[in-house]
Amino acid sequence: MATTLVKCLTCKTTITISGEPGEKIFLTCPQCNQKGAFTIPEEKSAKTIGTNSATIEVNGLTKSYNHFTAVNNVSFTVNKGEIFGFLGPNGAGKTTTIKSMLDLIHANKGTIKINGIDVRSHGKEAKKYVGYMPEKVAFYDNLTALQNLRFYAEIKHAPKEECIHLIEEFGLGDTGKKRVGKFSKGMVQRLGMARAILGTPPILILDEPSGGLDPRGVVLIRDKILEMKKKGTTIFVSSHILSEIQEICDRVGIINKGVLVAQDTVDGLSKKLNLKPQITVTVGSLSAKIENAVKNLPGVDSVKTQGNTLEIVCDGAMKAKVILAISTAGGNIQNLQTKEPSLEEVFMRYTEV
Amino acid sequence: MKTDVIISIAKKEIMDNIRNKWIILVSVMFALLTLVVSYFGSLGSHGWQDLGITISGMANLVTFLVPIIALILAYATIIGEIERGSMNSLLSLSATRFEIIIGKFLGLAGVLCFTIIIGFGAAGLMIAANVSNVNYVDYGIFIGATMLLGLVFLSVALFFSTIFNKRSTAMGGAIFLWFLFNIILPIVFIGLLATTIDITKFAAGNPIVVPDWYHALTLFNPTSVYSSLLTFAIGPVSSMNASSMIPAPAWYSSGLLIGVLLAWIIVFFVLAVWRFQRKDI
Repeated sequence: MATTLVKCLTCKTTITISGEPGEKIFLTCPQCNQKGAFTIPEEKSAKTIGTNSATIEVNGLTKSYNHFTAVNNVSFTVNKGEIFGFLGPNGAGKTTTIKSMLDLIHANKGTIKINGIDVRSHGKEAKKYVGYMPEKVAFYDNLTALQNLRFYAEIKHAPKEECIHLIEEFGLGDTGKKRVGKFSKGMVQRLGMARAILGTPPILILDEPSGGLDPRGVVLIRDKILEMKKKGTTIFVSSHILSEIQEICDRVGIINKGVLVAQDTVDGLSKKLNLKPQITVTVGSLSAKIENAVKNLPGVDSVKTQGNTLEIVCDGAMKAKVILAISTAGGNIQNLQTKEPSLEEVFMRYTEV
Repeated sequence: MKTDVIISIAKKEIMDNIRNKWIILVSVMFALLTLVVSYFGSLGSHGWQDLGITISGMANLVTFLVPIIALILAYATIIGEIERGSMNSLLSLSATRFEIIIGKFLGLAGVLCFTIIIGFGAAGLMIAANVSNVNYVDYGIFIGATMLLGLVFLSVALFFSTIFNKRSTAMGGAIFLWFLFNIILPIVFIGLLATTIDITKFAAGNPIVVPDWYHALTLFNPTSVYSSLLTFAIGPVSSMNASSMIPAPAWYSSGLLIGVLLAWIIVFFVLAVWRFQRKDI
């Protein structure tokens, strides 16, 4: 299995694809829905994004507390410039994994490398590359937002002027001499994101970055994540907001009961689970001819009718052919909706008891 | 080890304590207590007493107050930050755990020493302006010894802050420590002494002979060491400390006592570093 990055020809979005060398991969751009195909080249597969260019490498990570194994033999790689979503139910081991990646928790087994540097033995060096936003964002309550950020800027060797800029950017410019202890949860969360990106680190590790934020705050954080990705930042993000993860992540990893049960693109995982897109077509007048034309197409799993509406579950590659078949059979298409397999379905399937 | 990281963390600790007005409150409290003791402290005295008498009056008060202030200052240094969540972010930075803990210790030590110097210093200057017999050296020794005592308890509290998993437990530990060193150990030591010496001989007018082991035992209580140090350097200051009123063996010197206080600071700081290095956050 090889993983490589391709760019959408229409909107230039970077998409991560996985497959065997020489395999033709059909894909849909998550940004502009442009469809296309890409063959994983033989030559490139040898240099697939692996050890040398990996930004975060977790290998065989295990952490136990007495007789409870919180994380069991977890391995994954986050490639340079990609957004990797890390999902799992509460208590699945997400935060333990993240804390181990930063050596806040000492793993029992396994290795973690940031830009090829072992976090356990050379933590200080490795952490130079990381900006971190913990699940529970906290600051020094007696200090102002600026005093707090300046403290972190000193240790990160980031320019102090950046602190003022970030405070403005995250809508905290009017807090002035107000102590962080008096901030609302949303304000603290925004300041937490500002702290994480202070000094423009090449890697961002975000643990529930949108937790406790209002919709405007969620959008602000999401836009910032995408902006950082455009700058080439590698982003590891854990979140319960699956729609957001699906929207922004190149690949996802799903952890359940301490075990990494899946990691791939959302499309890749859907494929593995045999989840297929659903097309809902409303025609002017639904006839048996139209229904049969669709049913007889290869790759169509099911067709349900309700009034003049058809609900079709089919292979992703068959969507255009289904629409063409309806038109050819005399269907006057009045409404068309396509629902791709959602990350929620994937998540539920991988984490079901 | 990078000194700029240590300095940044120490500066932050100081700034944090300035912002919560802790420094001002404790400095003012030290100054007021010293002035009150100097003016009203001695029975039968009228008005300001000189610095020597003030030190005698203050010594017992200091052994009660300074430890509790140091314990309050440091008991939550590590566990408080872990519980609040700010330790996660601090440790995610390019700083070693050793740099973080030494920065915190130095910052808190700065806060404590500053409050002692300002509080006692300001009061000392006011007293000096009102009395004719001023011994600045003795008063300087008193301030120096008090800082050492404070640092001992700071170091012990820092260690406690690393061994407990809850802020409330660490606070309980700090309160226990205060009772241990100020109430329990002095009573135990005196009790042990009373069981081994012949009180009837003392009552008959013979000089009391205290065994060497008793002096050695007092080294395990920093407040006793502090009182003994002041006695050696300045004169008898503590009625609580029997060793200050009785002849001590030759090895029981000021140098040893300073060394013991420094050892307390170093040993507990090393233990705190050792524990913090291994702690899961």
